[in-house]
Amino acid sequence: MKAILAIAGVEVRRFLRDRSNIFFAFIFPLLLILLLGTQFGSSSAETRVALAGGSGTALLTALTEQLEADGMQVESGTAQVVREQLGRGRADVGLIISNEAATAFNDERRTELEILTASQASAQAALQQVRGSLQAISMRHSQLAALEQGGLAAEAAKSALTHAREAVQAPRVDILDTDNTAKEFRGLGVFDLGAVQQLLLFIFLSSLTGSATLIQARRFGVISRTLAAPVSSRQTIAGQAVGRFGIASVQGAYILVGTALLFGVDWGNLWLTALVLVAFSAVAAAGAMIIGSLLDHDGAATGIGIGSGLVLAGLGGCMVPPEFFAEPLQSFSWLTPHRWAYDALAAIQRRDAAFTDILPSLGVLAVMAAFLLLCGAWLLRRSLQRAL
Amino acid sequence: MSADRLVKRFGELTAVDDVSFAIRPGETYGLLGPNGAGKTTIINMVAGLIPADSGSVDVAGIRMDPAGIAVKRHLGLVPQELAIYPDLTARENLNFFGRLQGLGRKELSSRVNAVLELLGLAERAGEQTKKYSGGMKRRLNIGIGLLHRPGLLILDEPTVGVDPQSRNSILEAVGDLSAGGTAVLYTTHYMEEAERLCDRIAILDQGQIQAEGTRDELITLTGGVDRISLVGAGRSAAAAEALRSLDGVHRVTDSGGTELILTVTDGAALLAGIVSTAVRSGMTLASVSVTRPDLESVFLHLTGKALRD
Repeated sequence: MKAILAIAGVEVRRFLRDRSNIFFAFIFPLLLILLLGTQFGSSSAETRVALAGGSGTALLTALTEQLEADGMQVESGTAQVVREQLGRGRADVGLIISNEAATAFNDERRTELEILTASQASAQAALQQVRGSLQAISMRHSQLAALEQGGLAAEAAKSALTHAREAVQAPRVDILDTDNTAKEFRGLGVFDLGAVQQLLLFIFLSSLTGSATLIQARRFGVISRTLAAPVSSRQTIAGQAVGRFGIASVQGAYILVGTALLFGVDWGNLWLTALVLVAFSAVAAAGAMIIGSLLDHDGAATGIGIGSGLVLAGLGGCMVPPEFFAEPLQSFSWLTPHRWAYDALAAIQRRDAAFTDILPSLGVLAVMAAFLLLCGAWLLRRSLQRAL
Repeated sequence: MSADRLVKRFGELTAVDDVSFAIRPGETYGLLGPNGAGKTTIINMVAGLIPADSGSVDVAGIRMDPAGIAVKRHLGLVPQELAIYPDLTARENLNFFGRLQGLGRKELSSRVNAVLELLGLAERAGEQTKKYSGGMKRRLNIGIGLLHRPGLLILDEPTVGVDPQSRNSILEAVGDLSAGGTAVLYTTHYMEEAERLCDRIAILDQGQIQAEGTRDELITLTGGVDRISLVGAGRSAAAAEALRSLDGVHRVTDSGGTELILTVTDGAALLAGIVSTAVRSGMTLASVSVTRPDLESVFLHLTGKALRD
């Protein structure tokens, strides 16, 4: 065991000592998560409505009060800002209040508002909620007008309406969002989704590019030399495999802790998250063993590592959330370890999944890791025999 | 250690053919031969890196087996290539290999310091080895092999590509180890190194030991003949033919048309006749040298070719 840990320890140390890895493994992932979160992240479980125009008017006040009373999150800004918010998915519905509309509302005339919706799937349900609120304002306005026309003073009419509302159980319309894709992301923090995706992407990427250290160890003749020491070939291969696993784990743990501390990412049950990371890191480590044993040039390993790491990450939902994938990409994505790990982490993070819920994902990842590890060990043994 | 009738084949090629030898504690045993003679293959079998097709190796009374752990504790290998991590420091490299040898923390620390001192690397022990000169890397490569005080130290051409100063320091270190009781198996194609270091030498060619013994024993195999080298241009083939007919000339080897190597009895007495015969045969001489018998002569005598071929 001492020999295995010595070999593994040196591999991790060499990975950390490479200056380019300091940027790509430690600075770049957090920068990317920060960028994605601030530009595309959404932190609300509520419908988000952005209002523009009508500053200081009764219409703006009425809209704001009603929308908030109906449980929506309201923000104000210019028309340009509202359009940007909608474009980035940071608002579901935008309302543009023109001067004419504000005046018409005051004059108790027909009032027209410009309504804009975002492109995300949740926007349609949000639009229905906003329509409900607008109808409520319209209804209240009509009722007040009717009472005032009936001879009541404005204050008395308001009071009567309030009494009536308390006395009568009014029919209620609840907007039920049946869009599972939209519901899937409700309640996530600004950085939560991006953190999961980049975590998986970088664990694999760092592991595959880190296979360069294995190639160097073979090329330098260090692995051959270890075989002349009182170390069996099994221990040597196991040491290399544990070393790859160590590189993946260091990368994973860093992003996990870093995003939790810096960006407040909620990872859910940490033990279960760690379990998924262990299984996923094992797959990444085994993949690195294969590349490190097959190739003879560390530059080629870096190129292939980056290329295959990005392709697998893309297919596995680490660039665009897999919930948005259409068939057959949706089915195809399950061939990647990323998709299984993403699914398990999403279940832990969003639905408080228990161990049994993520067991299928863990099982598939374990089988993938075992298969790739066997291939990697066989290839490494073969390359050593050839070298000697 | 002892090697008994080692055979190793790679496809049709028999790289090592029925090789046997033994090394006693404190003895330096040299395998002298040109590139491709089978030296590294023998070393790989002795170190347990590859299995022999037949024959056996015993180290400290334990049979060598590539899967064997206990027997490998008794040997230290210094491979021909620089088997060190360039991105680790000398101390880190030594620590790593020391752990593989099973050294405990305290012993490892003291042995690492001792080896760094011995090799003159203590002052730069904290530098990454990629910043070292070729000679320093070679010294570290050797230091790793002797870190755990092996009973048998195997050095495979440890001075290849090393500057004269570092080479001298390496040879001195090996001599000291041998004097301290370590058995040393040393391969080289440098005759001077074998003559300086080795107590006994095996002349190796085409996978077979052609002769074995001390330097003096090997030289007697030549019959005490001298070696005369004639370097020049012109009709070397005709000159060689003419020289072969002279009394006292045992062998004439034509090395590519520019050099004739003769083995003769009493070179000083025959020199004038040899030169005039060569010139008469149409050879224009650029230089002539007479060498007393050495291992190069032995190799030439045994194989009919120069060691550097």
